[in-house]
Amino acid sequence: MTLTAPEWLKKIHALRLDRPIRIMNVCGGHERSITMAGIRSALPKYVELIAGPGCPVCVCPEEDVYQAIQLALRADVILVAFGDMLRVPVNVPKKKVRSLERAKAAGADVRPIASPREAVRIAQQNPERQVVFFAAGFETTTAPIAAMLLEGVPENLFVLLSARRTWPAVAMLLDSDTPGFDGLVAPGHVSTVMGPEEWNFVFEKHDIPAAVAGFQPVSLLAAMYSVLRQLLEGKRFLDNCYPELVRSGGNRAAQAQLAEALNDTDANWRGIGVIPSSGFSLQKRFAKNDARLRFPDFDTEGRKRAGQMPPGCECASVVLGKINPNQCKIYGRACTPKTPVGPCMVSDEGACRIWWAAGVRANAASDEKATADNMPLPSTG
Amino acid sequence: MRMADRYISLAHGNGGSCMRELIETVFARHLSNPLLDVQADAAALPPMEGVIMITTDGFTVQPLEFPGGTIGSLAVHGTVNDLAVSGALPCYLTLNAFIEEGFDMAQLERIIASLASAAREANVCVVAGDTKVLPRGQGGGLYLAATGVGVRPKNLELGLPRVQPGDSILVSGPVGDHGIAVMLAREQFGLSGELLSDAASVLPLTQALVPLPGLRFMRDPTRGGLATVLHEICRATGLEARLNGAVIPVREQVATVCEMLGYDPFYLACEGRVVAVVESTQASEALARLQALPQGCEAAIIGNMKHGRPHVVLETELGGERILDELEDDPLPRIC
Repeated sequence: MTLTAPEWLKKIHALRLDRPIRIMNVCGGHERSITMAGIRSALPKYVELIAGPGCPVCVCPEEDVYQAIQLALRADVILVAFGDMLRVPVNVPKKKVRSLERAKAAGADVRPIASPREAVRIAQQNPERQVVFFAAGFETTTAPIAAMLLEGVPENLFVLLSARRTWPAVAMLLDSDTPGFDGLVAPGHVSTVMGPEEWNFVFEKHDIPAAVAGFQPVSLLAAMYSVLRQLLEGKRFLDNCYPELVRSGGNRAAQAQLAEALNDTDANWRGIGVIPSSGFSLQKRFAKNDARLRFPDFDTEGRKRAGQMPPGCECASVVLGKINPNQCKIYGRACTPKTPVGPCMVSDEGACRIWWAAGVRANAASDEKATADNMPLPSTG
Repeated sequence: MRMADRYISLAHGNGGSCMRELIETVFARHLSNPLLDVQADAAALPPMEGVIMITTDGFTVQPLEFPGGTIGSLAVHGTVNDLAVSGALPCYLTLNAFIEEGFDMAQLERIIASLASAAREANVCVVAGDTKVLPRGQGGGLYLAATGVGVRPKNLELGLPRVQPGDSILVSGPVGDHGIAVMLAREQFGLSGELLSDAASVLPLTQALVPLPGLRFMRDPTRGGLATVLHEICRATGLEARLNGAVIPVREQVATVCEMLGYDPFYLACEGRVVAVVESTQASEALARLQALPQGCEAAIIGNMKHGRPHVVLETELGGERILDELEDDPLPRIC
């Protein structure tokens, strides 16, 4: 029997749990669908949806963005990047170029792209220039980059790789004293590539229910229902609510490409710190296309707050689901979508941006009672 | 025209024989009408009945030719539509063309021919014009600027102050076609497609609504799209615009591209649609009038104005809601 989204919603409303439940997703695509479909405001009040570390823009280290900006400012470089990286600010003195977008406005050749193929095309069309591909993203974005490298890339294309695996951040949260969530909606695209088994540790090791979801409201609601029902009935397993695409073992060809082109590496997550084996680096044979080897490190020793969050910004706590966006002191004050301070206000997958878009304007930082279970919702009348 | 003149040169803007030939053989030939006198410095217009309305607009679209239009037809439609949604009948246009040195003469011909054909269809005459040639590298090929003059009946009152709580919101057709068609025509992001822009004169639509006494306000949702027009209404009136997401017309292809790149169709430009606010008891009559026109066959009543915070609130098919916030920046494609 296939249920529709409204039917799943009805089933969720019929469940009776007697405590606040926090369900975390770790995928920007999920977050977008949840917001677009208005799922937050349609769920029972006791269920809170948390955007976990699933926004690649939000976790991309400050020093990588800084380096991309410095490269973009070189006259002999075309910098290409996925669009929403362009507005991420770094910590530089006033009047210095603080984002790729500002670099572009100042005359740098910065081009937003949507796929690695475009980076290759731009390099082919501009053989006299050095094209730097600032590649941030999770496994689903990284697999095509590995494929691109294996297919062979132009000599003048250099990859500034800032790619991450999704599960290590969730594992780190669960290993901490305050994981901050009761159930997990596991990412659909990542599971399609890497296999759903990657997420077994969530229920096996941590006794937290989990369900893989796709990107339609119907699949997301089915996964939320599964997680809630597992909690209610005391069962724990990894449900697959995206069986159309997610198969046991995942996409082995893509995994092989990742393994063939890239190495696992410890990686820094913005504001969170280094997580073991959570990142990727180019293998030695692609050294000539590795922007990190081609260009010296621009992160000058003296730069204030290099690698850190901007003053007052609590994006790290937001990304980890430790506080609500409007519990950050600068939310809606110094930090708005027009003048983003932290990365979570930049991307439309960032939790702060999402809350802002949902109409939350009040800052709750001074109000100690503002807790996770009373997320303000847009007025209904 | 001389065979050598396959491309625009600086000589075409120097006031001499080349410029005269360009004006006569391209512009005047396509746009000729009794009021356009290429020898005179100013056009004399006959007296007009009603309130004289004037508007001006600049056009810099890239690419210059896209499925469903050109920068030329867009200049006519954009200018005519600003008059039409004000309740006016467009009558005259003036035209400025800023042409980059090296521009292909055949393409200029095509664009001016499409401009002329759009003007004929909208029943407006180009009565004055000017051309300038910019040195190579100083323009995007061709920029156009147009000023439109029209007349509005003296007794017709339209405008934001007339919008009341309870009023219905209508849109004359699917939103976002123009924005996506132009984006696909740029072949950016490795995407291409056959979607046609909705660019057209909205005059038939606005003229069908103007006789309704319950018509409060009309606007063409160009830059910033449907959401931005509704924001302007909310900001001006202090009312909430509440939309039913399930009934707002969006073409499948537009929805798919938006899904892939993370765009929101409600913020994408249209160039041939009308958003109208109508007193609720006349909403179905207004809808019937729009749907009776080929251009309005997919029109819909999409929501209403109500007391509340001045937000644009979209009710989703699930019964949830989301706020369509004011556009902060140019939308950018997202990572995944």
